Amino acid sequence: MKSMSTTRGRAHHGHMGQSVCKGWLIGLTISSSLLGFCLFLSCFILAGTASADTSLEPIRFGLATAPSNLDPRFATDAASTRVNRLVYERLVDFDHTSRPIPALAHWEQLSPIHYRFYLDPNRQPFHDGQPLTAQDVQATYQFILDPQHASPHRSSLLRIDRMTTPNDATIDFFLTKPDLLFPAYLVIGILPAQLIATQHPFHSQPIGNGPFAFTNRPDDSRLILTRRTDRQPFEFVRVPDPTVRTMKLLAGEIDMVQNDLEPELVEYLAKDQRVVVQRGHGSNFVYIGFHLQDPLTKQLAIRQAVAHAIDRQAIIRFMLGGAARPASALLPHDHWAGNPALPPYNYNPQKARELLAQAGITPDRPIHLTYTTSSDPFRIRLATILQHQLAKVGIACDLRSYDWGTFYGDIKAGRFQLYSLSWVGIKTPDIFSYVFHSRSIPPHGANRGRFIDDTANRLIDEAETAQAIFEKREKYQQLQAYLLTKLPYVPLWFEDHVFIARQEIEGFSIAVDGNYDSLVSVQRRR
Amino acid sequence: MIRCWGPLSLLVLWCLIALLGPLFPLTPNQIDLPNILTGIGSQAWLGYDDLGRPMFDRLVIGARTSFIVAISVVTVSFIMGSLLGTCSAYIGGVVDLVLVRMIDIFLAFPGILLAIALAGMMGPGIENVVIALALVGWVGYARLARAQVLSVKEQEHVVAAIAIGTKPLGIISRHLLPLIMAPLIVEASFGIAGTVIAEAGLSFLGLGVQPPAASWGSMIRDGTRYMLVAPHMVVVPGLALMAVVLAINIFGDWLRDWLDVKAGTRHTSRS
Repeated sequence: MKSMSTTRGRAHHGHMGQSVCKGWLIGLTISSSLLGFCLFLSCFILAGTASADTSLEPIRFGLATAPSNLDPRFATDAASTRVNRLVYERLVDFDHTSRPIPALAHWEQLSPIHYRFYLDPNRQPFHDGQPLTAQDVQATYQFILDPQHASPHRSSLLRIDRMTTPNDATIDFFLTKPDLLFPAYLVIGILPAQLIATQHPFHSQPIGNGPFAFTNRPDDSRLILTRRTDRQPFEFVRVPDPTVRTMKLLAGEIDMVQNDLEPELVEYLAKDQRVVVQRGHGSNFVYIGFHLQDPLTKQLAIRQAVAHAIDRQAIIRFMLGGAARPASALLPHDHWAGNPALPPYNYNPQKARELLAQAGITPDRPIHLTYTTSSDPFRIRLATILQHQLAKVGIACDLRSYDWGTFYGDIKAGRFQLYSLSWVGIKTPDIFSYVFHSRSIPPHGANRGRFIDDTANRLIDEAETAQAIFEKREKYQQLQAYLLTKLPYVPLWFEDHVFIARQEIEGFSIAVDGNYDSLVSVQRRR
Repeated sequence: MIRCWGPLSLLVLWCLIALLGPLFPLTPNQIDLPNILTGIGSQAWLGYDDLGRPMFDRLVIGARTSFIVAISVVTVSFIMGSLLGTCSAYIGGVVDLVLVRMIDIFLAFPGILLAIALAGMMGPGIENVVIALALVGWVGYARLARAQVLSVKEQEHVVAAIAIGTKPLGIISRHLLPLIMAPLIVEASFGIAGTVIAEAGLSFLGLGVQPPAASWGSMIRDGTRYMLVAPHMVVVPGLALMAVVLAINIFGDWLRDWLDVKAGTRHTSRS
């Protein structure tokens, strides 16, 4: 533009200098305007689809803990995993029985060690506009498998020998050994290969192809995502205290919460007209673990006495407000590998006393155990109830509550007699190998109680090598029945999920694993 | 004297409850799940807590906890601080200098913060709370005793006792301590209030008594999660704590006035 102006000035050289000057000024103005417009456009494009529509009021989700890592290659905590599912899509998902189903790709098994995945032709591009290809899938899994990156998900993917990409929409996985359940492990969100190569900070600036795009994270307690379909912003707000979270919900400072509320607060909210409470079955498994090399807790009769001394029904009814299902195994009954025929241990204090007497424990020779738990008030409350119920049959428990780091460190190191914990988000039955096989004693797995049992090992190995799904299910069901007789864990219950939203919020449905996927359909009624 | 009857009766009640509480058929740790968070009513006139335990029974045991801690801490602090302060001022020189510097160092930290640090290092438990609070509490008595002894040790009867060859122990016990006892007793009365608050604070933070034992601080902590649904869990121990501390402070004020010869209150009350 500037050169045009100059040309025009030369053409009218015979006119007054003022005319030349005026033309130059007009040119400068136009060029500046165009430059400004280009800059604005660039900024808009750079921001991509992530920029929220500021005319829409954000829908605010109150969380007890903020997602700590927005990079799915490294995230392990529940909050991060749930939020990352919104930002990134994965190859495979699960149905209500935890069977793997196609998500970003469907698959076929070409040989026992060769799986071919076909990417969905209607898949969304990444939030920066780049298309998602098989190379992105390969780069994501290649990164996780590289031991230098120390991804916590690497161990579950070690069965991958190599990957190839015949074309942009197809990826082949070759395994080191046959595994019928292999697709169930491909649940990591896919990242753009180009940005992986440039070491993009996904943990703080995630870019995926999920239904929500990252917009902003003003501080550690707030995360703003934008729904791609309608540019509706969603703000995830950390409010650690359950009472404050409840009050904020009633005051309209947040629009919805899920879980992490005392049952009494849920009942309190259920009576309030301003909010709606939804409940749904969950798969979070709560249990009591034993140290099986301890002189006392290694005795089966004592473990059985503990199981019979606990009144689960009363705890579920009065303390949990009915929001749990008694458990008899690590997998819920509706899991494809679950065992619905297993009855939970019934409350029978008399039988507990008899079992203790068999173990040589009488009122004049009482037993003293140490019960370790975290410093979470709800867990201490539960521990105090269990302590009271165990005392009724003659088992005296000393409660030891520690902050989470110390508690978890002690559990992994085997410094406990009794402890209580929960397993969250269990989908695949390989958890049995991780938790009960004798080769899985920490740091090689989560066999924290040092359970060493040849029959359990054999059943786990047979289930893992079974070549048909029905055979696998049968073996896992046998294993669960056997574990219930040996009691390395005392199964307590599966916690329900509770979702509470303000009246004007609609469209959310509770998932069995507590994920936030249905935020794609949540709307604020006007 | 009349103005302290109310607080004094409350303090006597506190002492009686604390001392005689175990004689009553209390069940402070009896968990009754159907009664969880039941409010104040005819069956339990202070309601039940989050585990269905009777609040009244736990309040009584909490009173005993705070009483035992307060008396133990103040006794240990009083004896330790008074003796150190008195000896230091009487001996003087390097000993006095060292003690003054120690007092300065202790006073440089906020007392409760130091107690939290000590209790945290030693681990939770009522014995460790007593030790932590006593380690922090002696400083006030030592400083006061030292100042008082410095002002009275030059008095004629003390000089005379020295002149006739009375041993230092005799001078301290017979000529100094009786003279400085009044302000130390007043200090102790306020010390009890401070210790009750400090014990409650440490138990609130989980550094005091351990579950299922009861303390007013731990009762308040347990209740904070249920303030919306069961405010009695916070109000009941909170009011008890406030009433006892207020009573001690009013009683301490009255005691100070009563022991103050210059103000003449003591003589007025007697007449």
